Amino acid sequence: MRARIRPGRRHGIVLGAVGCLFWASAAARAEDASSWRDIETKYIFGFTTGSGIGLEGEKEFTVDSIGRFGKRDGHYAATETKYEFEFTPSQFIQIEFGALGSTHNIGGVSDLDDRRQVALSGGFAEFRYLALERTSSNPLAVTLAFEPTVRRIDETGGERVHNYEFETIINADLELLKNRLFAGFNLLYEPEITQTLAGDTEREAKFGGSAALSLRIASNVVIGGEVWYLRHCDAANLTAFTGDAVMLGPTLYVQFTPKMFMTAAWNTQVWGREIGNPVSLNLVEFQRNRARLKFAVEF
Amino acid sequence: MAITMRKLILAALCAIAVLPISPSQAQQATEVQVTYSKGQFQPNELRAPADKPITVRVKNLDAKAMEFESKSLRVEKVVAANSEGVINVRALKPGRYEFYDDFNEKARGALVVQ
Repeated sequence: MRARIRPGRRHGIVLGAVGCLFWASAAARAEDASSWRDIETKYIFGFTTGSGIGLEGEKEFTVDSIGRFGKRDGHYAATETKYEFEFTPSQFIQIEFGALGSTHNIGGVSDLDDRRQVALSGGFAEFRYLALERTSSNPLAVTLAFEPTVRRIDETGGERVHNYEFETIINADLELLKNRLFAGFNLLYEPEITQTLAGDTEREAKFGGSAALSLRIASNVVIGGEVWYLRHCDAANLTAFTGDAVMLGPTLYVQFTPKMFMTAAWNTQVWGREIGNPVSLNLVEFQRNRARLKFAVEF
Repeated sequence: MAITMRKLILAALCAIAVLPISPSQAQQATEVQVTYSKGQFQPNELRAPADKPITVRVKNLDAKAMEFESKSLRVEKVVAANSEGVINVRALKPGRYEFYDDFNEKARGALVVQ
């Protein structure tokens, strides 16, 4: 049985999210926001990344988990966690690197082997450059980021592979209301090549973008929503299109202390298609739901 | 594909190599001074010219450490009790850049760039 979100329920989710934003906006007006400090925008949009690159000399340790849940049949749960060190060596550049850990719990899913495993799955590095900075007269900020990643465990199926990915992304955000309401936008291009133990080589690429809206409802709490459109191709030059999907969901950011915060997000696939398969949703290249939970400590 | 990936990585590294990554050293920096005393910045509004690097000299006269921090200036520096800290800031566009003591919620100030 295919669990689809009916159009009526979909509209309910959107209306609910908009309602929450209006309620939160009213709550925020009740609090004096003039005393709030500026906020770092990098993590306030959920899966969408803001333009922030931190402060010169700042260092941060982060545990960032992304879970993916639900395929067309059987049960599917996979997570990938980044154990990440990031630092900002100048007022324009941020560098991050770390190890990847993964878990897979898969049973009865078409085209995937049953598997229950926990593994150290690879490593990554990220370089971020602030190309356009926000000022009191310019509300837009833009950061360019490159993230090479090497994996020894396949992200989707969990089998042993050699996988090389090179994510390039533009992170932009707009301050709509001073220190209060922000819009975030990402543009993503993510080519990768995978060599299986059997000697096969698979090439693919993901391309897409997102839009997010986040409202600061207290000096240390930001809530919002985001929507992602993602396309999958079996070629790095984006020619062999295989399917696409739209993911939608709420986001939360909480600053516990000036040096410690968390961010959480949940995305549900609300629309998708697989080329050559007339079913609703794309559950081959993407998942029904995904979640993100990130904790960070600055020092 | 492997060649394409290598080209992409090479292009990215070349792009990073030519980006400006630190405050311009070619121009003479404008120095501004602020004193931190009794948990307050004095003065709490500093002024500096636009499009020139800025050096902020912070004198902490209090008996405990403070942290000069600003999200919009993208700097932070811990200044020990009864000592001085120097913070180099890139050339800035005109605007108002707030700063504060990260250890003291009430201590705030701003750098006005014109």
